[in-house]
Amino acid sequence: MNKKRIYPSWFLIIPIALYAIFFLLPSALGVGYSFTDWNARSLGEVNFIGFENYKEIFTSDKDYLTGIGHTLMFTVVSNIIKLIPALLLAILLNEGMKAKGLYRTLLYLPSILPFVIIGLIFKSIFNYKTGLLNVTLEALHLGFLKQKWLSDLDVVWKSIFGVDAWRGIGYVMTIFIAGLSAIPKSYYEAAQIDGANFWQRLRHVTLPMLSGSIMINLVFGITYGLKVFDIVYVLTNGGPGHATEVLSTYSYQLYSTGQYGMSTALNTILLVITAIIGVFVVRQMSKQEVQQ
Amino acid sequence: MKKKLVSAMLCAAMVATMVPGTAMAADDATADFAGEELSILVSTGWMDNRYDETIARFEETYDVTVDLQTIPADQYSDVLQSKLSTDSCADIFWIQSNPFAIGSVIVDPEKYCIDFTGAEWESKMPETRLSSCTFNDKLYGLQIWHNSPEYVMVYNKTLFEELGIEIPTTYAELLSACDKIAAEGITPWFLPGADGWQHQLAFFQIGGVYEEATPGLYEGLNNNTATFADNEKMLEVLGQFKELSDKGYFGEDWIGTDSSNMVNEFGDRACAMAMANSSYIKQLQEETGSDDEWGLFLLPLGDNDTFPTNPAGPTMFGYKGTEHEDLVKAFFDFVTTTESLQEILDNSPSYTNLDMNDDGIEQHWLPEEEEFMNSIDKTKMSTPVLQTGTKYTNDYWSNFGADLVSYCQGTMEANDVLKNMDTNRAEAAKVAKDEAWN
Repeated sequence: MNKKRIYPSWFLIIPIALYAIFFLLPSALGVGYSFTDWNARSLGEVNFIGFENYKEIFTSDKDYLTGIGHTLMFTVVSNIIKLIPALLLAILLNEGMKAKGLYRTLLYLPSILPFVIIGLIFKSIFNYKTGLLNVTLEALHLGFLKQKWLSDLDVVWKSIFGVDAWRGIGYVMTIFIAGLSAIPKSYYEAAQIDGANFWQRLRHVTLPMLSGSIMINLVFGITYGLKVFDIVYVLTNGGPGHATEVLSTYSYQLYSTGQYGMSTALNTILLVITAIIGVFVVRQMSKQEVQQ
Repeated sequence: MKKKLVSAMLCAAMVATMVPGTAMAADDATADFAGEELSILVSTGWMDNRYDETIARFEETYDVTVDLQTIPADQYSDVLQSKLSTDSCADIFWIQSNPFAIGSVIVDPEKYCIDFTGAEWESKMPETRLSSCTFNDKLYGLQIWHNSPEYVMVYNKTLFEELGIEIPTTYAELLSACDKIAAEGITPWFLPGADGWQHQLAFFQIGGVYEEATPGLYEGLNNNTATFADNEKMLEVLGQFKELSDKGYFGEDWIGTDSSNMVNEFGDRACAMAMANSSYIKQLQEETGSDDEWGLFLLPLGDNDTFPTNPAGPTMFGYKGTEHEDLVKAFFDFVTTTESLQEILDNSPSYTNLDMNDDGIEQHWLPEEEEFMNSIDKTKMSTPVLQTGTKYTNDYWSNFGADLVSYCQGTMEANDVLKNMDTNRAEAAKVAKDEAWN
């Protein structure tokens, strides 16, 4: 009986071949190129140079390490500021609220906008002199709150996080809503009969039952955070100065100046960090699921 | 006598038979290419519509088709490199050339470029431009570009006159002018730092003044016996730049401002000057509706009095692996005729001139440009701008710009900005296997 349900293994040939050709092979080539002097002027002549590129990254006067630090900081902060509000919104919009479908759609919409459009919109909104934000603040007699949103060293990261949260919360929320809708109502009814308040229900019913959605959001969020490029590139291009440089913007710059070997070495570091953190998170979450 | 007459008649008859023969030969020469296709690989902005009419005439004259492959600017370099390395390049390709670009971008012109040495059009290119088209004394490229003053100070002449400000020729005078302008609530110098590529022009366009302060500096920078770091004149200029930034003379938020609103700022008299090309005056006149008059002056940082001569420009090369070498040569000959050059100029609204040795071309210099050019000592025009006069400098344009912003925001020291440029150039030299750095 079961045999009928199991597809023959040759069904996997096409997907595995596609995965190998379009993902594994380029990744392996990328790692391979990180040990070479491949550059714009090599014109086909690529030489193996061992760990020279990696040595350069960790010993150079250039601030690649700050870029790595910024990337990790972005990963942590962007996840925190998206996960918590998204969870609260999901709970709110999972209840019998009027027009919740409309709110869900409105919140989800920014996540389907292309980064280029987001960059153009927010660069215009953040313009110090003519931007909507400062002009509105001025009109509301709140001129003292005006900021140089994208050029002040103390403000620029907050602006990036704000835009990133605006864009990403709806997406995270949607995954939470899917998780919430799978929790049987009877669990809440039982907890309510036991006298559990909102926070107790959240802690002892919702969160444990949502661990799958939390894990998905965390893994997606962490990989997104570590690979962050678009949002930084379109808003600040790593600036002002080098204040918002992340690993990917450095990698992009190296590629632009034709240092392909170095660029792939930086990407390989990113790949290793992402793999380590990803595996760690999945393991931890799986352990918790087993315990539950 | 009769013999003489007969021989004269015979000669005449021979000449007469040769004339249609020659005409036939000429027809045959164009007919030789009939049906062929000439491919051109170019980045956006380098040919635009200005070559359309000339190309159409070329197609008609030779009964050929031209396949124009225009690649977005940010992808062009990669596309060209891959096409060259896989021997699949178009018949004609372009690069943004400068005196070092052939060696660094094409790397091996012997292998990839048609040698045009001795071509008739060689004499049409000025000496300064030839340096971007030759390598090891062989002519490979053709550069048809304009010679308008690039990134000098464009200023509101009327406003200056009203405020009693003379054209500043030294940094002290510039500072004093800025004081007066700022006192009127006007941004003295509109500097769009958010563009990422404009603000560093203030440092690089005055290369002549660094060379004057340290004679032989360019040569030293090109053979790795001199550095940017610790150069006193450069440090002085960086200090002046930061002073103007700290005083707010570039605007309240120059680092976060891009150039999209620059015309309006000029039109509203919200700013008094900016670095721009001379043709920008035409744009101001057309778009602002202002009655103000505009003028040009040299960037006075570091007390500069040198003209920003720039031999760089988009340049076309013939691909050596082409199957249509004669057609390529015919195209180069065709675009350098006076008729074609005039057509190219007339179809380039942003050009006011073409920098070619051809008296037949009717240039469209602006009066402001003429006034400005006439005011400059010709001996101050010989040193090229720093970014194209020294090797590998232009490659790190954006990095330098970011460092300059960091310096203005107090997170970097002036000499570290210069040291970074040395480090970057050394990296590029290593990649290029430049003997001077190895």
